[in-house]
Amino acid sequence: MTSGTAFSGDDPRRLLSGTRELTDQVRRTQRATWFPLLVLAVVTFAAIPFRYSPHRLGTCAATATVRICTAYPPALLVYWPTALVLAYVVIAAFYIRRSQARGVGTRVRPYVVAGIILALAMTGSLVWTLYHPLAFPLAGAGLFSALHSYPFAIGVALVVLSWAERNGALLALALGYSAVVLVTSAVGSVSGHGWLGFPVQLVIPGSVLLLGGIGFLLAQRPWRRAA
Amino acid sequence: MTSHPANGLDDIVHQRVRLGILTIAHEARRVEFSYLRDTLGLTAGNLSQHLGVLETAGLIAIEKGYAGKRARTWVTLTKAGQAALEDEIAQLKLLIGRIEPAGTSPS
Repeated sequence: MTSGTAFSGDDPRRLLSGTRELTDQVRRTQRATWFPLLVLAVVTFAAIPFRYSPHRLGTCAATATVRICTAYPPALLVYWPTALVLAYVVIAAFYIRRSQARGVGTRVRPYVVAGIILALAMTGSLVWTLYHPLAFPLAGAGLFSALHSYPFAIGVALVVLSWAERNGALLALALGYSAVVLVTSAVGSVSGHGWLGFPVQLVIPGSVLLLGGIGFLLAQRPWRRAA
Repeated sequence: MTSHPANGLDDIVHQRVRLGILTIAHEARRVEFSYLRDTLGLTAGNLSQHLGVLETAGLIAIEKGYAGKRARTWVTLTKAGQAALEDEIAQLKLLIGRIEPAGTSPS
């Protein structure tokens, strides 16, 4: 497909609108939003079994009035950073390979760097919180848990991808997804982190990623050679 | 008296194909010869001529290599090319501002 006819004439208005059309066309060619969403949905669903493993990490601390204990499955603490770093490496490789095949550069680097940094920072923050229970706020514990969750880190990284891809639809999805993570975390806290609470915190955010990925797959139709 | 915006246009950049090349290279960061050829609807020879003009002016850098056994030519925008593109867009907007009567907008 060419845009030679659209980008013609010396009229400044046509030249300017032609540059906008070309810019949009390059962005459509570069975007592969569906791929990271589907990969991260798989990573999120695959975390569910790890949440049922024994909660061996954590400690208790007490003040004069209150005693707070923390607990976290070590398997999950190994799974999330490992799976996320691998996922971002796979996403970067996919974008680079696609970029070479299509003949345009890629803007994926800020997203991959942000995603890996967030995954590692989240792990450090989580470990620190586990062994400093008094830092855990009693008021707004659900929000605190959500902000210290890997699904929330995925949402923040998706905001970076939406900026890198200049993709307003992805920004809306990333913000909606982050809101869903906060709400499901609160629901999970209310249910006492029991049999229902844990899956809710992963199944619903994972489903949002999956449905978003399918939506972008249908919209971007990567099986077409060029947009 | 201020000069007319048309006087600020760079003859090298103010040409629809070369402006298209700079626009694509800017947005793509790195673009392959065949993508430029197909997107702008040019022949290989015609595109090569325009790339030569832009490279001589220092607005783009051309890198040749191989992807497997296939020869590939990649084009990237230089800092001078980036500045020239920004100037051209600014001048075009000024020109449109002069052409358009107050209170109307381009269709």
